[in-house]
Amino acid sequence: MAQPGNVLNFSGHLHLRSRLVLSILSGKAVKIDHIRSEDKNPGLRDYEVSLLRLLERITNGTVIEISVTGTALLLKPGVIAGGPVTHDCPLSRSIGYFLEPVIMLAPFSKRPLQLTLRGITSDDRDLSVDLIRTVTLPQLQAFGVSDGLELRIRKRGSPPLGGGEVQLICPIVKELKTLNFVERGKIKRIRGISHAVRVNPQFSNRMIEAARSVLNRYIPDIYLYSDVYKGEDSGKSPGYGLSILSESTTGAMHCAEALSQPGVAPEDIALLATRALLQEVQRGGCVDSHHQTLVLLFMVLGSEDVGRCRMGEPTARTIQFLRDVKMAFGTTFKIVPAEKSDPASTELVYSCYGVGYVNANRTLS
Amino acid sequence: MDQQSNKAHRPANSGAKAEKKSKAKGKEKQHGFNEKAFAPKSGRRADRQGRRNVERDQTRLHVPLVNRTPDDQPPPVIVAIVGPPGVGKTTLLKSLVRRYTKQTLNEVKGPVTVVSGKKKRITFIECNSDLNSMIDIGKIADLVLLMIDGSYGFEMETFEFLNILQSHGFPKVIGVLTHLDLIKKAATLRATKKALKKRFWTEIYQGAKLFYLSGVMNGRYPDTEILNLSRFISVMKFRPLVFRNSHPYLLADRLEDLTPREQVRTSKGKCDRTVTVYGYLRGTNLRLGTKVHIPGVGDLSMKSVTALGDPCPLPDADSEKRRKLSEKKKLLIHAPMSDVGGVVYDKDAVYINVPGSFTRGAADVPQGEGEQMVMDLQDVKTTIEDQVAQSQIRLFGSSSRPLSVQAGPSRLPDDSDDSDDGSDSEEDSEDGSRSDSDVDEDASDGFSDEDDSDMEDDGAGPSDRGRLSMRSVHRSMGDLPSHARQRQEVDYADSDSDLGDDNDDGVLVGGQEEGADLPDSYESDEQMVDDSDEEVPKWKSDLAAKAHASFTQDSRRNRRRDWTKLIYMTSLSPDEILLDKQTRIADAGGGMGDEDFFTVIKKSGEEVEEIDTSKDTLSPDHLKVWEDEELLDSLRGLFITGSSAEAAITGEDDQVEGSDAEEADGEVDADDPQATRAAALAKKKEALKRKFDEQYDDPESAKVDFYEEQKDQMARQLELNRAEFEGIDPEARVLVEGYRPGTYVRIELENVPCELVENFDPSYPIIVGGLLASEERFGYLQVRIKRHRWYTKTLKTNDPLIFSLGWRRFQTIPIYSLDDHSIRMRMLKYTPEHMHCYATFYGPISLPNTGFCALNTLSSEVAGFRVSATGVVLDIDRSAKIVKKLKLTGVPYKIFKNTAFIKNMFNSALEVAKFEGANIRTVSGIRGQVKKALAKPDGAFRATFEDKILMSDIVFLRAWYSIQPRKFYNPVTSLLLSQKGHWTGMRLTGQVRREEGLKTPTNVNSTYKPVERPARRFNTLKVPKKLQAALPYASKSKLVKQQHRQTYLQKRAVMLEPEEKKAIALLQQIRALRKDQVARRKEKQEQRRVTHRQKVEKEEAKKGEKEKEKRKQHMRAAGMKARQESGEDGGRERKRRRT
Repeated sequence: MAQPGNVLNFSGHLHLRSRLVLSILSGKAVKIDHIRSEDKNPGLRDYEVSLLRLLERITNGTVIEISVTGTALLLKPGVIAGGPVTHDCPLSRSIGYFLEPVIMLAPFSKRPLQLTLRGITSDDRDLSVDLIRTVTLPQLQAFGVSDGLELRIRKRGSPPLGGGEVQLICPIVKELKTLNFVERGKIKRIRGISHAVRVNPQFSNRMIEAARSVLNRYIPDIYLYSDVYKGEDSGKSPGYGLSILSESTTGAMHCAEALSQPGVAPEDIALLATRALLQEVQRGGCVDSHHQTLVLLFMVLGSEDVGRCRMGEPTARTIQFLRDVKMAFGTTFKIVPAEKSDPASTELVYSCYGVGYVNANRTLS
Repeated sequence: MDQQSNKAHRPANSGAKAEKKSKAKGKEKQHGFNEKAFAPKSGRRADRQGRRNVERDQTRLHVPLVNRTPDDQPPPVIVAIVGPPGVGKTTLLKSLVRRYTKQTLNEVKGPVTVVSGKKKRITFIECNSDLNSMIDIGKIADLVLLMIDGSYGFEMETFEFLNILQSHGFPKVIGVLTHLDLIKKAATLRATKKALKKRFWTEIYQGAKLFYLSGVMNGRYPDTEILNLSRFISVMKFRPLVFRNSHPYLLADRLEDLTPREQVRTSKGKCDRTVTVYGYLRGTNLRLGTKVHIPGVGDLSMKSVTALGDPCPLPDADSEKRRKLSEKKKLLIHAPMSDVGGVVYDKDAVYINVPGSFTRGAADVPQGEGEQMVMDLQDVKTTIEDQVAQSQIRLFGSSSRPLSVQAGPSRLPDDSDDSDDGSDSEEDSEDGSRSDSDVDEDASDGFSDEDDSDMEDDGAGPSDRGRLSMRSVHRSMGDLPSHARQRQEVDYADSDSDLGDDNDDGVLVGGQEEGADLPDSYESDEQMVDDSDEEVPKWKSDLAAKAHASFTQDSRRNRRRDWTKLIYMTSLSPDEILLDKQTRIADAGGGMGDEDFFTVIKKSGEEVEEIDTSKDTLSPDHLKVWEDEELLDSLRGLFITGSSAEAAITGEDDQVEGSDAEEADGEVDADDPQATRAAALAKKKEALKRKFDEQYDDPESAKVDFYEEQKDQMARQLELNRAEFEGIDPEARVLVEGYRPGTYVRIELENVPCELVENFDPSYPIIVGGLLASEERFGYLQVRIKRHRWYTKTLKTNDPLIFSLGWRRFQTIPIYSLDDHSIRMRMLKYTPEHMHCYATFYGPISLPNTGFCALNTLSSEVAGFRVSATGVVLDIDRSAKIVKKLKLTGVPYKIFKNTAFIKNMFNSALEVAKFEGANIRTVSGIRGQVKKALAKPDGAFRATFEDKILMSDIVFLRAWYSIQPRKFYNPVTSLLLSQKGHWTGMRLTGQVRREEGLKTPTNVNSTYKPVERPARRFNTLKVPKKLQAALPYASKSKLVKQQHRQTYLQKRAVMLEPEEKKAIALLQQIRALRKDQVARRKEKQEQRRVTHRQKVEKEEAKKGEKEKEKRKQHMRAAGMKARQESGEDGGRERKRRRT
């Protein structure tokens, strides 16, 4: 029901998820054209169509129009309804691809969302469900989304055949709290989950050993859990992986993960993950590069106060996201170096004035 | 002078005086707080008293609300003067204005802003008696002076207004009783005051302030009374109202039409207009890109917003110093719509001219030529430049766009202020000539040319377009190709030298990159980065790992980058922003050639396509650097186990307390590491001390209760809000946080209906209300609604109703419903009598918990109470779940034991399939179930029941039919009408028929016909002979043939005995006598009745005459009063409606 002037126009297939989320949250229709129009295989991919379907299912009154060739898309958003939803994700992308936009929307739905997703639980393109559970969801707590927020990993599913199942339970909020997170603190603990399905359970322990060999020098408080799923819960394909995160005294979290590749020893996988984590830590900030967009979005949606967050440099995704946010909400961030006195520091403080987004979908009884 | 010695005073020790004194002394003892007096006598009582005190304290608390209005420059408080016509509103407004400004206004139209104190301003606005105005005023007024005619009492409008206030958040209300001088008798006066006060208190709250204004002197109320009232106004405290605290809004005190005259002429005045409105911003920050709603007009989009100089500024130290002794000089008043100086209001600006040496308005007084000239000059409100800018010259009649000029980049900052336009017009002309000379430089400022043109408008409003427009067009026509070239430059951001030059003499000074200075471009920045590249630091070579060097080098570069600008001000793609950094690294290292660079960007989808991922693929090669021990060790400082010395290596200096990060952000000199270390140490010590103090010193401060804690938190956040954007320049600040409340702004609105300008009437308030993102949408709103107990009719589903919700007033069609056992929402035909119910309607979305009031009509001709319902928004959705009951009936055509075949319920087997398993019931209460469709008659089905049903039974199926409210939304566009009070929305069908003189069409099937019920015939019961024989005697049917011959008893003759005959005759005689007697008695009674009736009639006639006389007398008195009033006051035209 958007008025004619209220259409966000984008082009290209990139950043589809964040654009759809911004459209649904802001209530403005979104029109995306030139979706792989130059490609041999033009138009939307199956996972993108699946995402649209998922969004249609968790909302009420959403109108999605896709052109005949699939290269253009018009979405007129409805209200976020929530409630129990089940969705089968295609095997081309992992569940993380679908969970990320849903987590951005879920706190603003009419009823608490209980979303069951089936498919691949972790792959090397999107955040695995482990990281979403251990890092992404705790990020929401800073915004006041905490009671009953949960991600249950029922079954694990590795690529290519998947077979995993997770359930996201997300409460609703009236308003997000304003974030003021500028102290990064010092890292006080490192946690990790090393999972293995349909392979020798020793793989998991080998990964833990390898990761510890690097991390032990820093801090004694390291727990890397070995999480081996068996039988029905282990999905259809073999695989293993290590996801680790560091948490600082102020609650700043950085994470990284690596997943099994054919012909690579588990030790190497673990080293890869560990080094990626160190790199993340070196980037600095209170939020790691994977969660920049999520935190920035929730800062924009906060009450009409100044929210501040310290982060590393923006990624390409974040830069585009900031531009899209400006289109959708008109919010501009002030980005200044965190420490002016220190020339070597790459950390930036992002501050913005929240739009005072109130969950209009919430029912008053 | 020698001392005079007096005799010392000797107090009396006895006598009356001494006694009096001693008594007084005793009394004095009892003064003050007597602890014993209130000491509880028992422990239980003490307990109870304590609890009561605590409870009382709790009632005093309110939910803490954030006040988003800044304390330093708050917008003027809106004081609305409301009351029925003829009550003395204008007189009060004039008196109050006179009190504050020592000036008398002749005619008041629109808002009048005055300075009332050091930190206080007041906007007075008079509300006319149109319901639309009352609604709008109720939504924005901070304080309402509710005027009541003491000689008359409350009127319907007053109560309507109070109900409107109640549903839109109750602002403060002060009652003002006038016309008390018309009551001559003191006792009556006292009684009236008392009665009115009591009624007022029940309406507002017990103890609400009610003022009495006695009489009018010199066209004003007595000064002392006005002084008292103004004191009460000045000490009034305002609690933020939730709706206003989440929406920006503005009460327009001036409206200007900017549409090109030519366009108006060619379209015969029917084209959509471009209009500017001026006013103080209130509520929350007004962001760019939000839509606004003008109640009475509709949703509009803002083309631009400009902050202007305050026309009615608060006195500051500077202005106090300059203040002259002449008293009138200091008193400011801002009322552009009131024509005080005899200047007729047109759509151009008109200000009240503060009378100084000339007194205006007196047209009959002869004026000298010089005086006349000065006055003419005073009339000119805009400079010539402004006028030229607003006129928007076209070069040709057919030009699609009026001429305009983009201001040069260097002029941006100083031209933002409109107020000093008049003074520096020559300066502008200089600018013009300069910009003419270096055309290229100006035009090559790419950002102002295209994508950020709206920002440009913000900076340099139309006021500095005027003179330059001609030149601009010449230029654009002259070298079009050069334009194209410039565009290209912007898109691909090839650095070129003249761009850099342009910026060097511009605003930007190297290294000054506070947050976001907007006007300078990315190029200069890039150049700066290049500079820093050339002087590659030596210390880099110290590090063993090359990778580490690259990291630090990387970071060194980044410090110079202004991310705000890169992200928002350039059209570079994100990859380009990130990539060009990397290429420069490559350049510095000399590792990668240009060809390599170009291979990074892939050309076609032949290779791996770029996908939307949230995780970068890990490349083991890149991460190899972490094998290096030194690099690994460099991170130690980031861990809790690492020392701070190690942290210094990587430069990740941790901050102990981030809550006061402003300090950390502040200016710490980087040059001296010793100093920084000392400062850091001092800060750490400070924090530790504070922590210690909190723990040990002040136990009171540690245990603040929840309420205090919340308030503290809000205060802290507000402080942070203020501090965060303190330093950055105003334009960037506007971009980040919007215009703050208290700013005097000019909002340019596009596509405004021409009727707003054509039919503009300053006595109707124009409110510009900002809309939240969600409020621009439409959907179904579910509200809790209650019919007002004073509204005499019930409300009917599907009848149009006018809602005042949020900023909007609109007509829509609600469906009323009630929650049926929490299972379904069941439609109601009418609203319940004294109960809340739900209503669902289609309309613009408002946030849940927004209050509203509903009306059936806005016309002032209606006698009764017009507010028909009030309520609150509960839910917003895209579909409505309201159902109404639907009963499907069918009849059995074949019955087995518990099974029956039912027909006439459905039309096809498909329908039956949909209802398989549904519960059905017969009229007699036998329950059953739909089983399966039958082949033969279409729509027949098999059903089973709990018992055998009869063929005569009707079977019915209770179903629920969902209904959707009609998608009807009709905004009340009252401001667009020439007669603003006569807006009519959609009418009811009956109303239309009545007005058109049409008859209601009758449906033939709905007419009543006599019911024909044919007598039921039953077949005779036939028992087979065999069965008959087998039955026992008692059960045998007794079939006896009818006698066709008369029996003996029938055919015998009867003869009476003589005694019997006599007795019968006697009885007959007695009966005849009795009959006669009764008839006579009845006749007599009838006679008596007739006489009584005549008597009663006579009495009735007498009474009627008396009544008539009384009414005559009353009407005579009323007429006299009306005549008297119309004689004394012109404002009192309408007949009052008595409550």
